[in-house]
Amino acid sequence: MDYDEESIKNILAKPSRAHELAANSQKGRFFGLQKIGVKKIPEHVRCHKQTDLERAKAALLLASLPKSLPCRDKEMLEITAFIKDAISDDKCLGRCLYIHGVPGTGKTMSVLAVMRNLRTEVDAGSIRPYSFVEINGLKLASPENIYRVIYEALSGHRVSWKKALHLLNERFSEGKKIGKEDDKPCILLIDELDLLLTRNQSVLYNILDWPTKPHSKLVVIGIANTMDLPEKLLPRISSRMGIERLCFGPYNYQQLQEIVSSRLKGINAFKEQAIEYASRKVAAISGDARRALEICRRAAEITDYRLKKLISNSNNASQGKSLVGMAEVEAAIQEMFQAPHIQVMKTSSRLSKIFLTAMVYELYKTGMGETTFEKLAMTVSCLCTSNGEAFPGHDMLLKIGCKLGECRIVLCESGAKHRLQKLQLNFPSDDVTFALKDSKELPWLAKYL
Amino acid sequence: MAREIPAEKALGLLRSRLCDPNFAFKALSHSDDSNYSKLKFLVSSSITEACNNSILLLGPRGSGKIAVLELVLSDLLQEYPDMISVIRLSGLLHSSDNCAFKEIARQLCMEHQLVFSRMASFDDNSQFMIAMLRECGLAHKTIIFILDEFDLFALGKQKLLYSLLDAMQSVTSQAVVIGVSCRLDADMLLDKRVRSRFSHRKLLFLPPANEDIQRLLEHILSLPTDSSFPPDYAVAFNTKLQNILADERFKEIISTYLNFDSTVKHLLRYLFRAVSYMDLESGMLSLENFKAALSNIQRHPKLECIKDCSILELYILVCMKRLEIKEQNSYNFNSVMKEYKSIHDSVKTSDYFARNVCLRAFEHLLQRELIGFTDNRGQNHSVEFTPVKLLVSFHELHQGLKSYGSCPAILQQLMDRQK
Repeated sequence: MDYDEESIKNILAKPSRAHELAANSQKGRFFGLQKIGVKKIPEHVRCHKQTDLERAKAALLLASLPKSLPCRDKEMLEITAFIKDAISDDKCLGRCLYIHGVPGTGKTMSVLAVMRNLRTEVDAGSIRPYSFVEINGLKLASPENIYRVIYEALSGHRVSWKKALHLLNERFSEGKKIGKEDDKPCILLIDELDLLLTRNQSVLYNILDWPTKPHSKLVVIGIANTMDLPEKLLPRISSRMGIERLCFGPYNYQQLQEIVSSRLKGINAFKEQAIEYASRKVAAISGDARRALEICRRAAEITDYRLKKLISNSNNASQGKSLVGMAEVEAAIQEMFQAPHIQVMKTSSRLSKIFLTAMVYELYKTGMGETTFEKLAMTVSCLCTSNGEAFPGHDMLLKIGCKLGECRIVLCESGAKHRLQKLQLNFPSDDVTFALKDSKELPWLAKYL
Repeated sequence: MAREIPAEKALGLLRSRLCDPNFAFKALSHSDDSNYSKLKFLVSSSITEACNNSILLLGPRGSGKIAVLELVLSDLLQEYPDMISVIRLSGLLHSSDNCAFKEIARQLCMEHQLVFSRMASFDDNSQFMIAMLRECGLAHKTIIFILDEFDLFALGKQKLLYSLLDAMQSVTSQAVVIGVSCRLDADMLLDKRVRSRFSHRKLLFLPPANEDIQRLLEHILSLPTDSSFPPDYAVAFNTKLQNILADERFKEIISTYLNFDSTVKHLLRYLFRAVSYMDLESGMLSLENFKAALSNIQRHPKLECIKDCSILELYILVCMKRLEIKEQNSYNFNSVMKEYKSIHDSVKTSDYFARNVCLRAFEHLLQRELIGFTDNRGQNHSVEFTPVKLLVSFHELHQGLKSYGSCPAILQQLMDRQK
């Protein structure tokens, strides 16, 4: 109902005015959002005293900024030295820095922390001011839009990307000033740099070419995941980008432990062993700090859930002090990283289990993973007749196959191909054996697995 | 006459219950270990503790993921009236990033009574979303994003997922992202950057156990004994129902049905049909209703198709089968005609038709998908030269011929003979 009224409003009002005042357009944004912020902040959120577990959960949130960034001091010093070196000369020389590392290793966070520290130094007057533009390659509508975003950030005007490219060329190659700004050096941070790769790599070329011009005063810091991104580019670009590199390696378990513990400083909710156990597990797989924090937060949630259910069920007024231990961390890891297909196979319907057993049997018999529906139907029919089951008919069997294919337990072609449909197990046959061999309703499956 | 009215009312009540998945899943969600209570705890603690969370609901189709989610949301909307906005997206409609951001902006504008413009660009919409997340975070309102068919959002560059999860990580936002998918490997589809930001919480929805199904049947099919129905009618109905449920034959019917697919939605579909067969004269359910529903709902489309074929079409199918047995892997309409002629020459049947009639019969078979072209690229050539294959197996064809009303004996012999 509301949508119809609003669309009528849009048609009747003059199109350009409605567009300007619309909350999601660029100019209209400040008109609308103040309405949201004005609502009363509800009292109860602040009222009740947080338990230790709740404070621990809040501290482990990815969104909460830690007071300091542990384990990245060396890298932060290098970044600080690079930037200060680049902007401190009177004649600022343009430079490029390439930062790389797997996700979750603190790259963006380190750069932003360095920029915050430099901001305080600028406010204190010990270094000259600069302008800082932060761009994320994955948030741009297309790689060419980066010119528009940079120009808008520097000058405040919005123009098309071609015009922006032209104006930026004038600014960086020829030194013409944009608007009323004075000659400040410009630091450009580009996150997810590999998304700017186009077919002729022109966007990257321009961005990395400008710092080499004498009047540009442009410092570019690029962040990406792959170590060899410069090598994958055209030589003229890799020569500009690849000189200064900084690698953020995956965290080892001591570093992860330190990261989690520093966030939980002053909060007594976790046993030491639990944090160490989570850190060791994550370090062995990926070394991703986000994963470690999420596992610990989930373990705290599980503990909180059990505690609250216990309190509400037993009407016990005493709040049992319960620390998060290794059992909860293990439960969190199981829940978050165990593949769900074994459980789904165990609880699937009777005919689905027979279907899967027939696929494993075919695999053993022929040695080939891929089979056709016709052969499978014959195998199912043999299995059913030798074990006293009623054969469900080809149509029902096709439906069962397609349902398993929808869950991706089995990979199958479209059901319209009927007996010519090709099928393949999506998981190792050992998983299927493990799931089905102890089935109570179909004990004879074990013979074929 | 007077008895028909409560029977119709009863029928209407049962049918409306069976069409509403929330009713069934409410009955299954009482224990502390159920997905309902876990999901409710997660979302409500995100609201009260002002934190962000992302969760995936996984399970086969019809296991109740959306139904349980709707139950949780309706409960939370009552408990925290002004603190929640819900944004619903579907992977089938909004998988393109442009479309998704526009839809999010539209729903946000509708929720907060702001003016929406359809002409805003991608950048405008994404900045609007981030600004709204920040504002709602400051005002302690939680935004719940429901992404239905989540696996379809993971195609392409995953810009929507990245922006959402990144905003949850860095802005003062209070958002819960709930993805719903029937693919069990939905989280493997995420790009490594998006996977790192996703919080890997999963809830698995599995079909109910047998005892739960018994309880569910009773709960759904029993009439309420309050004043909406004449008391003796309701009591008589419920007693008859208990007798049916305890009957061994009924248990066998239900287990035969659930052998195929044990999800709740499938069961509800069957019960709807069974209840629709209820005899309005007596106003009671009977075992025959359930038996009739079972035979009606489990159909064999291909066999019925073969039974509907004309004699000439059966001839063509048998010819194709003979060609396949002779290991001729690639054959077309002309080869089938040759085989047809050779049969007629050796056996002198009365069913010899002209070529253009056979072509019509051939096209009928193609339309009904009893036969099909081997590859779709051959559409440019005429029907007569494109290679075809049988889409029914020999077994099905054999069964179809056996149950055909007036199948000529010669066809049966041709089927059985190897040459």
